[in-house]
Amino acid sequence: MSILEYNGAAIIGMAGKNCVGIASDNRLGAQIQTVATDFKKVFSMDDKLYVGLAGLASDVQTMHNLLKFRQNLYELREERSVSPKVFSNLLSSLLYEKRFGPYFIEPVVAGLDEKNEPFLSAMDLIGAPSYHEDFVVSGTATANMLGMCETLYKPDMEPEELFETLSQALLASVDRDSLSGWGAVVHIVTKDGVITRELKGRQD
Amino acid sequence: MARRYDSSTTTFSPEGRLHQVEYAIEAINNAGTCVGILAKDGIVMASEKRVTSGLLAPAKTSEKTYKLSQHSACNVAGLTADANILIDQARLRAGRYEYQYCEPIPIEQLVEHVCNYKQAYTQYGGLRPFGVAFLFAGYDEHYGFQLYQSDPSGNYSGWKATVIGANNQAGKSLLKNEYGSQEEDTEEGKDGGEEMKTGDADKKLILPDVQEALRLAVKVLNKTMDATATSPDKMELFSMTLDTNGNCKHTILSSDETKEVMDSVDAETAAAGDM
Repeated sequence: MSILEYNGAAIIGMAGKNCVGIASDNRLGAQIQTVATDFKKVFSMDDKLYVGLAGLASDVQTMHNLLKFRQNLYELREERSVSPKVFSNLLSSLLYEKRFGPYFIEPVVAGLDEKNEPFLSAMDLIGAPSYHEDFVVSGTATANMLGMCETLYKPDMEPEELFETLSQALLASVDRDSLSGWGAVVHIVTKDGVITRELKGRQD
Repeated sequence: MARRYDSSTTTFSPEGRLHQVEYAIEAINNAGTCVGILAKDGIVMASEKRVTSGLLAPAKTSEKTYKLSQHSACNVAGLTADANILIDQARLRAGRYEYQYCEPIPIEQLVEHVCNYKQAYTQYGGLRPFGVAFLFAGYDEHYGFQLYQSDPSGNYSGWKATVIGANNQAGKSLLKNEYGSQEEDTEEGKDGGEEMKTGDADKKLILPDVQEALRLAVKVLNKTMDATATSPDKMELFSMTLDTNGNCKHTILSSDETKEVMDSVDAETAAAGDM
């Protein structure tokens, strides 16, 4: 048993034309047993900055609180909002600080930068980042999600089409993974605001 | 006589005084004035912006008002360098409390933490005290809006209205006469915050609203500053109120908004003069 696979998760971040989408499943399990079907893994740090945390649920919630604390401190001292790139670097530093006793999470950062250009990054549990222009995935169904995204993705999608693509990619991926699923939440972020939709998929 | 007992912060004088702390308080009495006023729907803090040179680059946001957390802010009088350390301490404390309890820190606890930090410099280590006095303004769900004042000794107290910095005695005496109004006077006068009978300690005090408090704050600054030289660039007005969602809103008034308040105060004093 791998600790990163104890609770189960599936998260995708995808870029469109001047917009980003980030989606996650709703399941919280204790290995094979499902414990909750409304467990939040994607958090809004700001209007145009979202972070998705896949992995051990306890660390997901702890890291969310820690990120809120550190983001707050940044905004008080700098007197401006934190940008997605800087936030991603902050997250990476926080994870590496615990290099020899890490947080068991594999996060995904999705946002719009100051010029409203999409920003996506993903990292491993000790903070090694990777930056992508198209999509990033994390969780227990990464093989499925990578396959679906690679097939369905095309560049410069408008928000409505991005929503469709992101939703289909996620829903199809979690069906072949017993540890993730039970519906999904999808956020589409544009410069004018965010639209959040809940998907009802196979409830198993 | 005090000379022998004033070079160490950690030694009492024979009269039972800590001279270093008193000297620190003197340093603050030369700094730009800050006035804080508790209103029924918020808090107002106004400060004198001292421009020591025309060549100085203008401050990006403020050099007097600092946000400590979503629900608290402070005004500074004294050594800015010392203040920066304490402000960072306060921000860390508020952040850590909220990280631990997932709840905003009660204001008095935040003030007490900063004050305990200051107190350590009057008892241990042989280091000098911080030359800063603060006005803390904050909101919590237990006690609503609160205003606190703290000084270099680490002592703090809650106030309905108070002044720190240069000419604070003149400011305080004006507030004593003009802050709040008595219960039976609520119907009279457009500005409920004008009359107060002294000595009737059991009469309930009516707090002014934020607009009245802003005008009163400007009046105080007019008195403590060189009255002929007051202008919107020399005054900074700050207010803290609750928005419709129950969250705190911190507002530093713009130059135009400040001018509006100052003009309304001038009109009031002129009208009062005519009577």
